[in-house]
Amino acid sequence: MALVELRGVSKSFRKGDETITPLDDIDLDIDAGDFVSLMGPSGTGKSTLLNLVSGIDRPDSGTITVDGTEVTKLSRSKLADWRAANLGYIFQTHNLIPVLTAYENVELPTLLLKLSSTQRRQRVELALEAVGLSDRADHYPRQLSGGQEQRVGIARAIVAHPKVVVADEPTGSLDTETSEQVQILLQRLNKELDITLLMVTHDSDAASIASRQLMLDRGKFLERGGDKEMGRQGEREVGVGNAGDSVAIKKFG
Amino acid sequence: MFTYVLKTLWRHRTRTLLTVTGAAVAMFVFCFVGSVQEGLQRLTTGSDADRSLIVFQENRFCPTTSRLPEDYSRKIKEIPGVRDVMPIQVWTNNCRASLDIVVFNGADPQQIQSTRPLTLTAGDWQSFSTQRDAAIVGRNVAQRRGLKTGDQFSIGDISVKVAGVFQSTVPSEENLIYTSLAFLQYTRGLDAAGLVTQHEVLLTDDADPDRVASEIDAKLRAGSVATKTRRKGAFQASTLSDLVDLIGFAHWLGYACVGLVLSLVATTTVMSVQDRIKEYAVLQTIGVRPLRAMRLVLTESTILCLVGGIAGTALAMTALAIGGFAIGAEGATIAFRPSIGLAVTGALVSLAVGIAAGLAPAIQAGTVPIVNALRQA
Repeated sequence: MALVELRGVSKSFRKGDETITPLDDIDLDIDAGDFVSLMGPSGTGKSTLLNLVSGIDRPDSGTITVDGTEVTKLSRSKLADWRAANLGYIFQTHNLIPVLTAYENVELPTLLLKLSSTQRRQRVELALEAVGLSDRADHYPRQLSGGQEQRVGIARAIVAHPKVVVADEPTGSLDTETSEQVQILLQRLNKELDITLLMVTHDSDAASIASRQLMLDRGKFLERGGDKEMGRQGEREVGVGNAGDSVAIKKFG
Repeated sequence: MFTYVLKTLWRHRTRTLLTVTGAAVAMFVFCFVGSVQEGLQRLTTGSDADRSLIVFQENRFCPTTSRLPEDYSRKIKEIPGVRDVMPIQVWTNNCRASLDIVVFNGADPQQIQSTRPLTLTAGDWQSFSTQRDAAIVGRNVAQRRGLKTGDQFSIGDISVKVAGVFQSTVPSEENLIYTSLAFLQYTRGLDAAGLVTQHEVLLTDDADPDRVASEIDAKLRAGSVATKTRRKGAFQASTLSDLVDLIGFAHWLGYACVGLVLSLVATTTVMSVQDRIKEYAVLQTIGVRPLRAMRLVLTESTILCLVGGIAGTALAMTALAIGGFAIGAEGATIAFRPSIGLAVTGALVSLAVGIAAGLAPAIQAGTVPIVNALRQA
């Protein structure tokens, strides 16, 4: 059984007098440990699909099941609890809380779980180490570069050990070099921690690092090959820089 | 999550400071109005107001126009239910409402000592009862006028030597100056030898005040001057009737202050939530429950209100404690005093207003459509 299952999912929007239906009777399976990239022209419903899987939006019809839980049936409060325990969300614009330090931002999801303060501190420190930002723990978002902010966002998404991490154009607001560092980091998290990742992107290079590449066009998925070894390419072309190393990532796992 | 609220307030410290200051000023006024109302309440109710009677000249309202024979006290004493009678000569520097009214009560020093709930904080009873021009001064008057034992104090045609300063369990008493009866009767301008302004009648425990009052008026109807006898509380309320109306109206000012804090904190919190609606969407995406998001907003508004409200209440209590304020007319005074009840009311009102002010923005933060809010720039 797939970790994420979408069956007959449809979603429509009203835009003025017009009704747009980007997702019409969609089926999709994502296995545990998959790294799925989702590409497609603007307005085809990629982000909508991501929002439906993460439970921050509801489909008009169809069911979405994650690890046996039918999220479409959960109330808003239950969905919040479910997201706290099972889902990590990486935003395109990082969306860090500006009044909190990097450490406090990463700590936020752990405050929603039943953890002792020692366990919490340990997880936050390891998550920051995994993204190579231990030395920036006390920095506020305004004191970080765009790439560092995104890595804090990634640490925040993985700190609760979620079953699925969704990423909405995680490299969309980054320069090429930083974008490649983030791609390396995501690929390592997937390979070394076995985190299931669903990533929406417009960038075909970013999409190519995924083990499955899906193209969403006119309500249909087209699957392409993938799994470019960004790690090796990264080491050769852009270097892993300070985007976390294998030891740190494994320690976090 | 509490850190998040505190840091948010700190980050917008100008807005926080202005809101807290506004709440403090409004609660300061609220407590002042409350203390005036409490003062009036104390004056017109309680054992001193209910278990003693004031015999005044009929159809007279100002102490300068009530002139009763001093020997009425002997006749009043014969009425069943009367424990003691104290003839009092009243002199005041101002018949109309004043914030610095000085009221002299002339009575027998021994009777004052035995019947009034006074404790000398300075000076001694001996000097008061043996020196003709000696006076004991209420704590509030002493504070306002800077008087201490041994000082000579003159106002109008009256000049007294301060023999002591007293405090009383009846706060309005602390705005009085007591002299001997004879001294005040023979003061130039009063020409009141053998006359007094009023008789204060103390009742036995089982006496019915209204029955005794009727009997006094009936008995003295045959005398040279007709009288009107009322419970002390009713007499003071009647004497201060125009002030009572004003104070009754002032309670709307108290409500207006509460409304002001409510609208101020609500506006600040609404603006704060609208500015950070995306943050609340992010928090809910991470897994914060809608109710918890609401609680964060409520905590923010409550902190603003409580900090401002408690600061304003504390300032008001301090000002009331050290100011010794009083308002009076026709020889009766209302003392403004700090009280634990008022302080607790101030804190509770701040808490309630803080919660009420945060409700609408809290609902907004808790029910925000996450996807729409995340799209906001």
